[in-house]
Amino acid sequence: MIDVTISSDDVTPQRAATRLESKTLFVELGAQPVGSPEHQAAREALVHLHLPLVEFLARRFRDRGEPLDDLVQVGTIGLIKAVDRFDVDRGVEFSTYATPTIVGEIKRHFRDKGWAVRVPRRLQELRHELATTTELLSHSLGRAPTIAEIARALDLSEEQVLEGLESANAYSTVSLDAGSDGEDGGGGSALASIGADDEALEGVEYRESLRPLLALLPARDRQILMLRFFRNMTQSQIAVEVGISQMHVSRLLTKTLEQLREQLTEEY
Amino acid sequence: MIRPARPAATTGGVINDVVELRLPADSAYLAVLRTATAGLAARLDFTLDEIEDLRIAVDEACALLLADSEPGEPMVCAFTLGDDSIEVVISARTGSGRPPGTGSFAWTVLSALAGEVRATAGADHLVTITLLKQRGGT
Repeated sequence: MIDVTISSDDVTPQRAATRLESKTLFVELGAQPVGSPEHQAAREALVHLHLPLVEFLARRFRDRGEPLDDLVQVGTIGLIKAVDRFDVDRGVEFSTYATPTIVGEIKRHFRDKGWAVRVPRRLQELRHELATTTELLSHSLGRAPTIAEIARALDLSEEQVLEGLESANAYSTVSLDAGSDGEDGGGGSALASIGADDEALEGVEYRESLRPLLALLPARDRQILMLRFFRNMTQSQIAVEVGISQMHVSRLLTKTLEQLREQLTEEY
Repeated sequence: MIRPARPAATTGGVINDVVELRLPADSAYLAVLRTATAGLAARLDFTLDEIEDLRIAVDEACALLLADSEPGEPMVCAFTLGDDSIEVVISARTGSGRPPGTGSFAWTVLSALAGEVRATAGADHLVTITLLKQRGGT
């Protein structure tokens, strides 16, 4: 299950102000007859006030093939439901109450689309074991392992290994990748410097439009892209070079290519 | 892993099983294709690197075709399993009927990932992209 709890321990002045405003609006909402313009106005103000929560939660589900805008939209439906059902006298913060409803709507959207979003604990653990075993085997074999080799090492069937890899690719939530996901490359390889990039791009059409897009990428994503496509390094080699798992390299490559594709559609 | 119950059609000891998928030309179905790609490559004992490369290559090739495909048209993807290679032939009817340019970034990506890439244009605006990935050929 994806962890979407928000710590309520660190109440910033801004958040405290939001809470106060929220409370005042809910009192107003409760005082006005349903359907009156005043009730309507308070309801709209509440939805507006808590939109950042929807955006925050929706971002947790990005990179799963659905546009963020769509997720925010369905999440907002959840928010409206939560506003309508919230009972001020229950003594919980509205954000605490609304979070499961919003997340529920977003998940339902994925379900309706045919994607199961819930990642069972079993798969999460499998995914972790896969990453560890792949790394160990890569090290001892001097190359990336095959599915059969991973299955043997973990005493699993090849189908189970494939299933685990599938889930690793499909459900790369931000929270699960956090920690190893710095904004900059960290590795700081000289190979990935812009100068080397430029040289590598010689001979590629549209490099004039590609270059600024590459420059916009986070340093590490760009480095991985260049190493794979212009230095012909394998994913495993890149994993060692950059200091992340091969599975993570694969995910980042997929994501970066998708981004470039969207931005380059014209002259791609 | 499901192994064929009867021996595959062979020519000179080379396995030539063919798996064909026909999907609507819609990105929503790419996940199905990705799963099939990984499953088939695993059968041939490709390494994880090679499997992931092929998976991304199939993604990329489909995206190229989808960007220019006619709505409602099917996309056909045929995997031919060799002894130590897998050939993926993806075709769809496109608006322009032109194959992707070999100097494009997408082509660079495809070549790096798959090894061998070909694109052809046929009658009726049918564009075909062929990827050939060898085991141990990175």
